Amino acid sequence: MARFEPVLLRGIGQLDLTDIENYKQLGGFAALEKALREMTPEAVQGEVSASNLRGRGGAGFPTGKKWSFLPKDGRPRYLVCNCDEAEPGTFKDHLLLEQAPFQIIEGLLISAYAINAAQIFMYIRGEFLEGFRIFKRALDAARLQGYLGKRILGTDFSMDIVVHRGAGAYICGEETAMLESIEGKRGEPRLKPPFPANAGLYGMPTVVNNVETVSCVPHIIERGAQWFASIGPEKCPGPKIISVSGHVVRPGNYEVPMGIPARELIEEYAGGLFPGRRLKAIQPGGGSSAAIFEEDLDTGIDFDSLAAKRTMLGSGGFVVMDDTTCMVRASQTLTRFFEHESCGQCTPCREGGQWVARMVSRLEAGEGNESDLRVLSTINDTITGTNLCPLGDSIMPFLSSVLRRFPEEFADHVREAGCPFRVGVAASMAS
Amino acid sequence: MSKQPARRNLTLTIDGRQVTVPEGTLVVEAARQAGFNIPVYCYHPKMDPAGLCRICLVEIEKIPKLQIACNTQVADGMVVHTMSPRVAEGRRGVLEFLLLNHPLDCPICDKGGECDLQDFTMSYGPGASRLTEPKLHKPKAVDLGPTIVLDEERCILCRRCTRFDDEIAQERNLVVNERGHHSLIATADGSDYRSYFSGNTTEICPVGALTSKAYRFRSRPWDLSHADSVCTQCSVGCNYRIDSRFGRIMRTFTRENTAVDDGWICDRGRYTFNYLYEPSRLRQPLIKRDGEHQPATFDEAIAIAAERLRTAARKGSVGIIGGGRLSDEEAFALQQFAREVLGTDNIDHRVGLQKYASPSRHEARLEDIDDASLIVIFGAITPEQAPILDLRLRRAVARRHAKLLFVGPYKPDLPVPCRHVEYTPGAIAELMEQLADVVHHGREERGEGFVAEIAQELADAERIIAVHNGRDPGAIEALEKLMDRLHDYDHPVGILVVGATGNARGAEAAGCVPNLGPGYAELGRSGMTAAEMFAAAADGKLDALYIAGANPALTFPDGELVRRALQRVPFLAVADQVLTETAAYADVVLAAASFAEKSGHVTNLEGRQQAFAQAIEPPVHVGSDLRILAAFAQTLGKEWAIPDDADALFAQLRHVQRAARPRSPKDPLPRPRVDETSLSSADQVDATHQRFTIIPVPRLYAGGGASAHDPGIAAMRPAPFATFHPDDAARIGVVHGDMVRLQGRGGSIDVEVHVGPQAPTGVALVLADMPQAPVNRLLDASGFGSATAIKVRSVAAAPPETIEVTA
Ligand SMILES: Cc1cc2nc3c(=O)[nH]c(=O)nc-3n(C[C@H](O)[C@H](O)[C@H](O)COP(=O)(O)O)c2cc1C
Ligand code: SF4
Ligand code: SF4
Ligand code: SF4
Ligand code: FES
Repeated sequence: MARFEPVLLRGIGQLDLTDIENYKQLGGFAALEKALREMTPEAVQGEVSASNLRGRGGAGFPTGKKWSFLPKDGRPRYLVCNCDEAEPGTFKDHLLLEQAPFQIIEGLLISAYAINAAQIFMYIRGEFLEGFRIFKRALDAARLQGYLGKRILGTDFSMDIVVHRGAGAYICGEETAMLESIEGKRGEPRLKPPFPANAGLYGMPTVVNNVETVSCVPHIIERGAQWFASIGPEKCPGPKIISVSGHVVRPGNYEVPMGIPARELIEEYAGGLFPGRRLKAIQPGGGSSAAIFEEDLDTGIDFDSLAAKRTMLGSGGFVVMDDTTCMVRASQTLTRFFEHESCGQCTPCREGGQWVARMVSRLEAGEGNESDLRVLSTINDTITGTNLCPLGDSIMPFLSSVLRRFPEEFADHVREAGCPFRVGVAASMAS
Repeated sequence: MSKQPARRNLTLTIDGRQVTVPEGTLVVEAARQAGFNIPVYCYHPKMDPAGLCRICLVEIEKIPKLQIACNTQVADGMVVHTMSPRVAEGRRGVLEFLLLNHPLDCPICDKGGECDLQDFTMSYGPGASRLTEPKLHKPKAVDLGPTIVLDEERCILCRRCTRFDDEIAQERNLVVNERGHHSLIATADGSDYRSYFSGNTTEICPVGALTSKAYRFRSRPWDLSHADSVCTQCSVGCNYRIDSRFGRIMRTFTRENTAVDDGWICDRGRYTFNYLYEPSRLRQPLIKRDGEHQPATFDEAIAIAAERLRTAARKGSVGIIGGGRLSDEEAFALQQFAREVLGTDNIDHRVGLQKYASPSRHEARLEDIDDASLIVIFGAITPEQAPILDLRLRRAVARRHAKLLFVGPYKPDLPVPCRHVEYTPGAIAELMEQLADVVHHGREERGEGFVAEIAQELADAERIIAVHNGRDPGAIEALEKLMDRLHDYDHPVGILVVGATGNARGAEAAGCVPNLGPGYAELGRSGMTAAEMFAAAADGKLDALYIAGANPALTFPDGELVRRALQRVPFLAVADQVLTETAAYADVVLAAASFAEKSGHVTNLEGRQQAFAQAIEPPVHVGSDLRILAAFAQTLGKEWAIPDDADALFAQLRHVQRAARPRSPKDPLPRPRVDETSLSSADQVDATHQRFTIIPVPRLYAGGGASAHDPGIAAMRPAPFATFHPDDAARIGVVHGDMVRLQGRGGSIDVEVHVGPQAPTGVALVLADMPQAPVNRLLDASGFGSATAIKVRSVAAAPPETIEVTA
């Protein structure tokens, strides 16, 4: 089967795209030129809308539509780029930041032009120190060549990018928590409404877009909405970077057309499972997503197909677990993550998340009881859908899905007062 | 007056009942109107919705997920269910989560009986906990500061306290530390939670996490009797409830009156009541015999004092001082006592620097601050003198983008942006006149410069509120003329005068001034002002003084004059609740009741007459001022002048006060007379730098009244200090914390040195009304004073280590 011709990852691995000359050699900044010289902001917005580009940060919201929500009331508007990538199993923005910074810059400039932004803010996850340095150097290089600052490329368009580093909180990836963080406050999601389009950064109309989303924009401008929309399913088209991790032979970032079947992704791109292992569960959209199983391998990797399977594409973190994986242990890792990362504003997320993590940890440690199993199988109703932001709704999906699918594995932990897998590991090590 | 467009009415259905409410109403409020109480924790009607606790989940048809009622606005045709099985499940879930690690120490919790966690758990909660592991623990009995103790385990993290502190007080003392279930309420920098509004957090805390030190472990709510009262600690007149148990006050509690207090009270108001139970509280009259105060009965004290006052009155040589700390009825009775019983116009309630307690025209209401676009404060130190008014200012500035201009000798400590216009006493009238002139000449001719700039701000403002302290008659007149001008140009303007005492305005309106009768009736004659009475007494020209609820020895600007007057006057009788500095001189001391021990009316700074009910009985030998005055009248054969009946007196007073509202520019209210000695003049200012000009500064917890004897208030009162400009401090060789002796015309006081740029150079800002260091030893009757400063003690015995700094 022919491999998909990469769009976003083109040249990476062959050329040093942190060098502006190499980026230009690949055709970089042509889209910016085209947008600024030949298109009105409305036309750019129209093209992005027509491409059916949907946000790559997790929610999959149509980007053109998001831009169109900005009120036309004369207030300054801000564009914020979300590079906080901390979703378990997701590492695509990290790659784009370190290997293709100019693509981000170009995408941001075109987007800012399209929405008539006054300023761009780039929010970079605190741990991405190297990426931050690379991005700063890229900004300097772009500025030197007139791609940034006053009167870009000699046009009337002036724009600058302010870089803000996060301080290590997953929740700051949530867009309104990010705005609080940029404003220098405690990083916690805001109550909505009002939405950022109306009252975002410093109370002004604001668009928050993911790194991969904005990286798509130059290609849409350069090659046209039609081309973009023709890749993959009609309602969620385009190239998509999937971060494949877990029990596969070649984990890594793969750029695929939206809608590619999970089986193809695993076998053709990631080298398949380890010999002799069987697939047990996949998280197709990062730590927040419910698992899919063997029988779902023909499902397309895209927003709508996965939603139909009661899970999600999310941020595209594709975690493969084979039959050596203990589902209780996996649930423990994830629930502890969310317990740790809850900002603590909402009762269900803060208290429920903590309780669930304690129960699962106890099960894994062999100290669980029947009552824990009963609580875990019903608590979804009071934790999920009752919170202020989606983090609270991310605690239960994986746990609930594997508990439904492998109830006996959970029960074994109680009956055997311990983790059967650990016993296995211990036995195999002893032999 | 408010400029919001009319809001459409929408009709929705809540639990089968149709409700019509204005557009923008929250579901939780609409439900309340329909008679359904949706449980809330984080939501508070005075604050922005926060959507944190999730207890208010409701089901709205056509929306798949449960929605929070506290941040969902109504829509036409919306169908809401607040009691459906899904809603019940959601609530049960939230309560289960909140109770997981809750300590369940209700039996020893102050909130027990009025706790929303207890109540909602009873109504909606799960029957039993499904938690099988040990509860998580957090710190208990955390000392947050002088007033508040926090139990982190009881805290449900609704953040009402932090949001109150941020949104309402604008102070940002309280924060959430840590994250997730480790979250803790704390102060931003770990220092004490010090705020004049701290007590409110104990009320809005839905659980027993925040408790006040004054009330901790004192009572259970169901044992309390309630009396609707009004705070008289300052002139704002916040409405509050006095809660008592077996005749003893346990606590005070807000009693929302949106127009006055917006549902808040300050800590001075909230916590000033324990002085009633201190040994210093007067529990019976005293008569001075051989230079010593001896206990006496009520009748004995009245008989002696009545006789002496009558004798002096016959010679026309008697004076009456007080009224500002009495009820309206009592202030009226006091003026009846002077004019009808003793036949003198020598009556004055003004024992501080304030001359006028009301505007003569352009009267504003406190609520007008909410709509103001420009607020100009002249001299009044609102955070210290009228804290709850100050909250309104803060809201207007921070949330409604009003501009704030402060004209005064130094800039008060305000948490909101405020432009400061520094002026020296005396120069203000001139500034006002210039402003009036420039405003009059119109935009084009306003020209450049500072005066033009302010004039422009005035001209641009849609609605102007001026707040002053009633001290400087010339400046007030100029201000009122400026307001006339703005008014002529169709600017809505209003004036508020912060009273020197809780009922200064009531006393003024009841005729406790030498030239005006009750209801500002012009008498066409005048008795002596307080200053003139002191001067006469000090000269041996006054035979008797009666002082009711006033402490001029501490509060009158010329302390030296008062001291001589009180020593020299042949007969002095004082009625008060405690043995004040003034009462210490008295030949007869009458033990007076507190506001909690009587009923009546008081008039706040905006002229609102408010009724207060009696909460507790006074001690047996203690009488209200009304009872005391009525007893005098009876003894002197004039019982018709002062019936011992507050209702009857109130009816009389109302009758004469009818026409007494401040009127139009053409027909202003007549003014209380001001004598020459009380007027300051600009040229007094000493610019030699050998001496410091003394400016007394008010402080919420200072003051010459009964609160000076309150242990809770005393704990929060700073030690006497004076603030010097850094340059001056360097010049005289003092640092923060040193002690200096300020030597002035009437003696000296020792104060701690504070250094801060808010003090103008050549000025010492000295805390006023501090019994240990009365600033009035340094001032003359007009409030002017200067003093030398000599260091008497260094803050450190050894000089601090010097640190070499190389460039
Ligand atoms: C807990 C949480 C974490 C998130 N983290 C990220 C993130 O790291 N990067 C990101 O782009 N979006 C993240 N999001 C999604 C953002 O809120 C937002 O939807 C996104 O940045 C919008 O960009 P897009 O429309 O381009 O996808 C997160 C959301 C939640 C609730
Ligand atoms: S759901 Fe969790 S992370 Fe999100 S706002 Fe609520 S407590 Fe914070
Ligand atoms: S202390 Fe009280 S008011 Fe403050 S967050 Fe906790 S429960 Fe809420
Ligand atoms: S502001 Fe004044 S009236 Fe109100 S509570 Fe405080 S002291 Fe009492
Ligand atoms: S009251 Fe609505 S979320 Fe707390």
